[in-house]
Amino acid sequence: MLNVYLFQTLNGLGLGMIYFLISVGLTLIFGLLNFVNFAHGAFFLLGSYLCYTTVTLTGNFWLSLLVAPLVVGLLAWLLERSLIRRIYHLPHTFQILVTLGIALIIQEASIMLWGPVGKSVPAPDLLRGIVRLGDFAYPQYRLFLIGFAALVAVALWLLLERTRFGALVRAGSESTETVSLLGTNIFRLFSITFALGVALAGLAGVLSAPLRGANPFLGPEILGVAFVVVVIGGMGSFGGALAAGLMVGVVQSLMASLWPQGSSLMIYAAMAVVILLRPYGLFGRA
Amino acid sequence: MRRDTLLSTTLLAATLGLGLAAGPTQAQDETPITVYGVKSLSGGNASYGKYAEMGSKLAIDEMSAKLGRQIDYVSIDTEGNAGRAVRKVQEAIEQDGARLFNGATLSSTALAVGKEVNEAGGVFMTPAGADEITGSECNPATFRWSVPTYGAIQQTLVPYIDSHPDAKRFYTITPQYVFGEALLRNAKQVFADKGVEHVGNSYHSLQEQEFSGYLTNAMAANPDVLVLLNFGSQSSNALRQAINFGLNQQMDIIMVWSSGLEQLQELGNDNIDGIYFGAQYWHEADTPANRELVKKVEEAYGITPNYPLAADYTMTKTLLQAVADSGATQGETLIHALEGRTYQGPTGEETIRATDHQVLKDYYLLEGKGADEMTDDSDYADVVSSGRSFLPPEKSGCQM
Repeated sequence: MLNVYLFQTLNGLGLGMIYFLISVGLTLIFGLLNFVNFAHGAFFLLGSYLCYTTVTLTGNFWLSLLVAPLVVGLLAWLLERSLIRRIYHLPHTFQILVTLGIALIIQEASIMLWGPVGKSVPAPDLLRGIVRLGDFAYPQYRLFLIGFAALVAVALWLLLERTRFGALVRAGSESTETVSLLGTNIFRLFSITFALGVALAGLAGVLSAPLRGANPFLGPEILGVAFVVVVIGGMGSFGGALAAGLMVGVVQSLMASLWPQGSSLMIYAAMAVVILLRPYGLFGRA
Repeated sequence: MRRDTLLSTTLLAATLGLGLAAGPTQAQDETPITVYGVKSLSGGNASYGKYAEMGSKLAIDEMSAKLGRQIDYVSIDTEGNAGRAVRKVQEAIEQDGARLFNGATLSSTALAVGKEVNEAGGVFMTPAGADEITGSECNPATFRWSVPTYGAIQQTLVPYIDSHPDAKRFYTITPQYVFGEALLRNAKQVFADKGVEHVGNSYHSLQEQEFSGYLTNAMAANPDVLVLLNFGSQSSNALRQAINFGLNQQMDIIMVWSSGLEQLQELGNDNIDGIYFGAQYWHEADTPANRELVKKVEEAYGITPNYPLAADYTMTKTLLQAVADSGATQGETLIHALEGRTYQGPTGEETIRATDHQVLKDYYLLEGKGADEMTDDSDYADVVSSGRSFLPPEKSGCQM
């Protein structure tokens, strides 16, 4: 018989992988572009809604896994080329203002397009069941999520560590000037990275839709989680996003059994502790 | 004075006198009544505010025609924020002489607005849920339509327990703040009265959207019934995730404070099939006023009425009827005309209790249906039981 705490840890790891997916895009954008994207939650939201629309129109969840991140990524690319690149050089506060504005626009547009009442998205038929573990049951869909997030993590790692693009991103995050001087079209690199980071948020939105549904006010909540994970893990650190995501997920789940009303609080408390002890996050650099 | 001068002067005086006597009455009939709708048209509760506004407007159109007078409606968008709502209400009171108010989604908004309207000597009809509105924070201006926590628990848990003698173990999930605590307190009382076991409770914060941890606690406690004492998006997510985890196959689930039709529509059949929901209003309730309301809403808007619409329709209509009957648009006369008033409401005969201004009405226990069981687009649930339970006025904590 599985002890409830053991199960909470397992549950927490699952949750952690979702949090990793939510925050890895944000950390990528900050790492290379030194850009604070407060619209991250809104793009997550768009991903959820596009998933809903795709599933409603075609009945195919797997299609939405492809379509939604592509659409969101494309939107981000257009946004970057028209607006975002004009504000890279501005202090972070301006970037926050602009992206907050974008977030509000996306939120209100969602209400206009899909109405103010939330939507439910069913899990794909293949993954509707549960897996029995002693006294406990774990949804097949969440197991799939863990596996899929792990795949995305591996794919991203390969992209960052084993491709030229990845090398440019990593080099660029150390010194954009040098990379540019060495002949790379830094603007195109930025556009692609921004689009990739946002597409990852959209992907997280799609995967999250069967769990949380889609409603116009998801954005700020998701942004909060993403920032906590990124700050704990270290802004710009891929490994940090993974480690911090898992840590936050496990803390939240364990707290649900130890001190339920404090489980959200403990995440922020953990962030405060990390900032005090390691201001750049667990894996961040100065 | 010459006789004809005297006669003409007297006639003139008489005419003037009659004219003056007739004057105020005429002016009164012609003064438009203005109802100020306090609705969450933007922000987190926009879905609620949209339907609430439809309800008020429908009532105004109806009463305008019935009473043969001009009734105006002014919208105040609370933006889902009590502070902003109060400022706008203050402005309306001071600059426009507003005195008749209806609405509010959040209890915090309702309490704050109620205080302002009371100070101005106006009247405020609200459907907001917190016990305090007709309890410890009651005031002469505020009248409340919804059933507070005592009744909601009594009319869901008691009929369920009575009809499910095998259900002995109950697990609760509660948002940790005043409203959740009130629901929990009432639930515990019912468990004790009925001799069933309360095997555990998980509190959670008002921001929580991830319930897997609490559902795990519930699974560990092995209950027969999972009782959700949260509401809004939290209750929707808790239920969604509970179904994800297959809990509905192991136990019954009761959501005590659902918002009715639009929440069931949002959740969809997969998430409501066989689940129990408590509701303030259900469009299939078989009462004369409800049948009429459904027809009117279908004609006017082409939709099925839901709770926000029905609540604000009922309160606006009752308010306007009281204004017409009493001839007053503010103050004690109007308040007295409302106190003790009985009328045909959507849940049957409804009465505004004079001591605390709480409307005595039914609360419903619904059971959700699968897609193949629906007889029409809105037939998401059946009424399992309905009735009214209210604490006696002395126990509600209201002192006016």
